[in-house]
Amino acid sequence: MVPFAGFNMPINYKSGIINEHKNVRNHSGIFDVSHMGQILIEINDLTIKNLEIFIPLKLKNIRKNKSNYTFLLNKNGGVVDDLIVSLIDINGKSNLYIVYNASRKNEDEKIFFKCAPDSKIIHNKNCLFAIQGPESFEVLKNIITVSKEMKFLDIRLFDYNKKKIIVSRSGYTGEDGFEISIPTEQAEVFLKNLLKNENTMLCGLGSRDSLRLEAGLSLYGHELNEKITPIEAGLSWALDKERLNDTKLNGNNVLSEQLKNKPSNIKIGLVSVNRTMLRDGMILFDNTKKNIGKITSGCFSPNLNKSIAIGYVSKEFNFENEIFCEIRNKMELVKKTNLPFVKKNYKKNGSNNE
Amino acid sequence: MGVTMSEKKYTKDHEWVSIDSGIATVGISNHAQESLGDIVFIELPSVGKSVNAKDEICVVESVKAASDIYAPIDGEIMEVNNNLESDAAIINQDAENTGWIFKMKVSNLSQYDELMTEDDYKKFLEQ
Repeated sequence: MVPFAGFNMPINYKSGIINEHKNVRNHSGIFDVSHMGQILIEINDLTIKNLEIFIPLKLKNIRKNKSNYTFLLNKNGGVVDDLIVSLIDINGKSNLYIVYNASRKNEDEKIFFKCAPDSKIIHNKNCLFAIQGPESFEVLKNIITVSKEMKFLDIRLFDYNKKKIIVSRSGYTGEDGFEISIPTEQAEVFLKNLLKNENTMLCGLGSRDSLRLEAGLSLYGHELNEKITPIEAGLSWALDKERLNDTKLNGNNVLSEQLKNKPSNIKIGLVSVNRTMLRDGMILFDNTKKNIGKITSGCFSPNLNKSIAIGYVSKEFNFENEIFCEIRNKMELVKKTNLPFVKKNYKKNGSNNE
Repeated sequence: MGVTMSEKKYTKDHEWVSIDSGIATVGISNHAQESLGDIVFIELPSVGKSVNAKDEICVVESVKAASDIYAPIDGEIMEVNNNLESDAAIINQDAENTGWIFKMKVSNLSQYDELMTEDDYKKFLEQ
């Protein structure tokens, strides 16, 4: 158990990080992510106008029963947090259901309540579980009436023991899967029912990190922070480009400029050449020992059986040259590679992969 | 590659040592491998190197973190367990036997006598 954003969280359960990781890639695994922030915001013209200062989407145009990956931006276009924003009906009223990082609750909630004073935090009464992996649908369909029509980033309300639960087909492992927000009093029995499937298992923070890293997904506090913009983080696909012309959007000028002229640092994937482990904070050098960037996340990849990392490198660097990483006072050769390290396996309309 | 020798002794840094004809075999304790979790890589010490007790001489990388391994006593590195280069997980499976890490020529036997016995180590872990 380790302290994590004010919670005591398991790095792994009994079978260990690598087993949990492989079980998610081959079967399924369940993450208790109840530490994350969850809020409901009933929308009207004013709350939308307020939220659009921070969120680079056209909130009026987002589709009902759909989830969107997006951000809260500060005045410089830096990332206050990355979020999943979904539009759902609660008791006949349109609500934004937002899931956000535990470590950013204070900053995010300041913004949410400023934009919409009637916002309702629900993580105090709802647990959040993620079931991830190719067999997730099979495991979940024995418990709720989820249908195959539900695709990646679809979100619906279901009844479970006469309570409403919110289910989205999403996650942060690169695999197909679902995230389930469920009232605390139903959570234990729901989890026990999921675990009746003998090919699934509980998974901890360790495998959550190695899975998201293999899938090339950014983690707040590592690839993302208040000084990094979504464009530097290689996430410009998650911005509504028309909103970048809107002076009401925080940092719109910075973001437009970066989109035109490339940001000064580029996010890249790296793999170790020798069997050395790449870790967060290690410095990257060129062959003249000039500092060219640093690693923001690194781990052992069970799928590739070597160490992988994500880092930022100056755009001035010529990527035809060798990259070295300083590990315990030695310069170790590393290789740039494309992200993701492991192909995503989402269930989308038309195709299975991104 | 099994090691059946003198009484196995332990350091506070969770290494085990056993001695046979002036040669110490060293590894990490079963407790240490359990707390490290899946071990994926080991940087072995250089053969021929003279070391002092408590020197950091090699590094074990688990999925979670890198951990230093210290020389339990003074001496010279004689041999390393090359099997670990291709499969460091042997330490997880059999930390106190085939998962041995290095052998060293002992220069000061009294240092070995001062280490914890298995019972002492068990008590130390309970603290």
